[in-house]
Amino acid sequence: MTALIDATGLEKIFRSRGRDVAAVADVSLSVGAGEALGIVGESGCGKTTTARMLLRLEDPTAGRIIFDGTDITTLRGAALLKFRAQAQLVFQNPFDALNPRFTIRRALAEPLNNFGVPVSEHAERIDAVLHRVRLTPPAAWLDRRPHELSGGQLQRVVLARALIPGPKLIVADEPVSMLDVSVRAGILNLLREARDALGLAAVYISHDLALIRYVCERTMVMYLGRVVEEGPTKELIAKPAHPYTRALVAAVPVPHVTQDRAQLPIRGSLSDAASVGGCAFRGRCPHAMKICTDQAPPLRSITPTRQVACHLEGAML
Amino acid sequence: MSMLSVRDLVVTYATRAGPVRAVDGVDLDIPAGSITGLVGESGCGKSTLGRALMGVLPEAGKIAGGQIVFEGADLVALSPTARRAIAWRRLSFIPQTAMNALDPVQRLRAQMLEVLVERGGLGKAEALARASELFHLVGLDPIRLSDYPHQFSGGMRQRASIALALALEPALVIADEPVTALDVIVQRQVLDVMRNLQARLGLAMILVTHDIAVVAYACDRVAVMYAGRIVEAGPVADVLENPLHPYTMGLTHAFPDLYGDDMTLVPIDGTPPSLLHPPAGCRFAARCPFVQPRCADEPPVMTGDHQAACWRVDEAAELRALAATPATWLPK
Repeated sequence: MTALIDATGLEKIFRSRGRDVAAVADVSLSVGAGEALGIVGESGCGKTTTARMLLRLEDPTAGRIIFDGTDITTLRGAALLKFRAQAQLVFQNPFDALNPRFTIRRALAEPLNNFGVPVSEHAERIDAVLHRVRLTPPAAWLDRRPHELSGGQLQRVVLARALIPGPKLIVADEPVSMLDVSVRAGILNLLREARDALGLAAVYISHDLALIRYVCERTMVMYLGRVVEEGPTKELIAKPAHPYTRALVAAVPVPHVTQDRAQLPIRGSLSDAASVGGCAFRGRCPHAMKICTDQAPPLRSITPTRQVACHLEGAML
Repeated sequence: MSMLSVRDLVVTYATRAGPVRAVDGVDLDIPAGSITGLVGESGCGKSTLGRALMGVLPEAGKIAGGQIVFEGADLVALSPTARRAIAWRRLSFIPQTAMNALDPVQRLRAQMLEVLVERGGLGKAEALARASELFHLVGLDPIRLSDYPHQFSGGMRQRASIALALALEPALVIADEPVTALDVIVQRQVLDVMRNLQARLGLAMILVTHDIAVVAYACDRVAVMYAGRIVEAGPVADVLENPLHPYTMGLTHAFPDLYGDDMTLVPIDGTPPSLLHPPAGCRFAARCPFVQPRCADEPPVMTGDHQAACWRVDEAAELRALAATPATWLPK
């Protein structure tokens, strides 16, 4: 399968207080049509910056992004606009993603105008997309404004706005974190349906591994700007290979009283990040060895579908 | 023996459209030396209830009826001065964002001393020693007492606000979404700090949260709130593993699990009722797949240790089986 989006060696360096800080370093990923990739990690791990680079909302300081056979790393002007129609972001917070004064009709027509879709096609496309997100009958929703909608309904509109230009790729950053538990399932199910029905490639960013497991077959774990592990989501949860993934999986609370309350296999906090050189996780790793200080572990394959950046000789598997 | 007994508590918010009954007839008993989770979705009244217990309601809110009996005294009937003497000393509060508890322009040491000296009546040397001890207790290096809050990470700030809340050795601590804003590893570490302290100091704790998994991890008992009322309460294991109320049943199928089968998640269709004009009967009736005619007219009552406000509580086992089928929850 050829990937719809293929990013190699992505890097983003921000200048902060006169120093260069690498928010993302050497991240490579590819996602095929109809496939969903999850990116998990804690705040500051670079997952959001990575997603923004994939959408060209942030310019990478190094690396290359091929989308549908075209190098989009430095696209500008009309070509960039054409790319934007095909790669859409689903906003995280439905309560401030929509203009409160716009009706739903206008909120959905706006992206069509931006991408030059003829006005004669608008009504039909808006109708179709509202069916897709189950706001039916569409006529009942078109003239409402955001304050008349619940959080779950607003998020459906936000999703409709992302789908209406007819993208091939959608990127969603914490797509349900602002919603109540009882309505999250509805949005997650819609994301799965839309991907299956439209053959979309999807990238989901979340700190919630359980959510990622529900919508993504494949997951990438990031720590301090780097990929530490990648593989099929279920395998990665059942048998995490990287010590950081292991701590992350162990930390997720589950809704059952019988759960492991043993101390997490991790030390210190994010502020104990190791300085330059070596593995960035070594300061918190219960298995740190001498080599971890001397050499940064490269991402290497441990099975045909799994990669890990750790010096331990597959010991975690 | 309950250290805190809430009876028929009503809290209203004044709005232009009239009073909103955010908490509407809540009964709750908090046993000494345990952690009780208060769980529900946005707008269910859980935070309002927590704030009413602590006496820190926002300006538009007021207690419109009922009792809050804490260590023998009805807090609702006390004068503000008498109330303040109890608040923070016997009863204390951990807010959602630690920044709300911490003063950004004062070093942590000064903030700890303020509480310990001015409210607690300790001498300065004694207070300093106690501040170090408290920092140690929550897993912070006492050397960091000289830091300002902005020099702390989110998890460290939450630990510092726990240390502040524990400063005067309260009997009951109310924590409002204490780990919601934290990353999962830090969240787990802060929950562990709270659990350990609770066990070591024999505190009672109320943990207000939207997250059932957090309740399952950290609490002994749980009260589930819906639309201003408690709809189910009991020991955590009973409530989560064998829910009696259809709302609780629905919640347990509504979000993804880290393990388990590839089941399709089922949302609970609809939205909670307006608390400006709440329905006469069961407040979940409009969204309940098991609704019966009497549910619309008569509010169900709760009895027993594991209890639920549902007319069909005797059929709970059959309803649970039905609730596990996605088709049950499809909109009709």
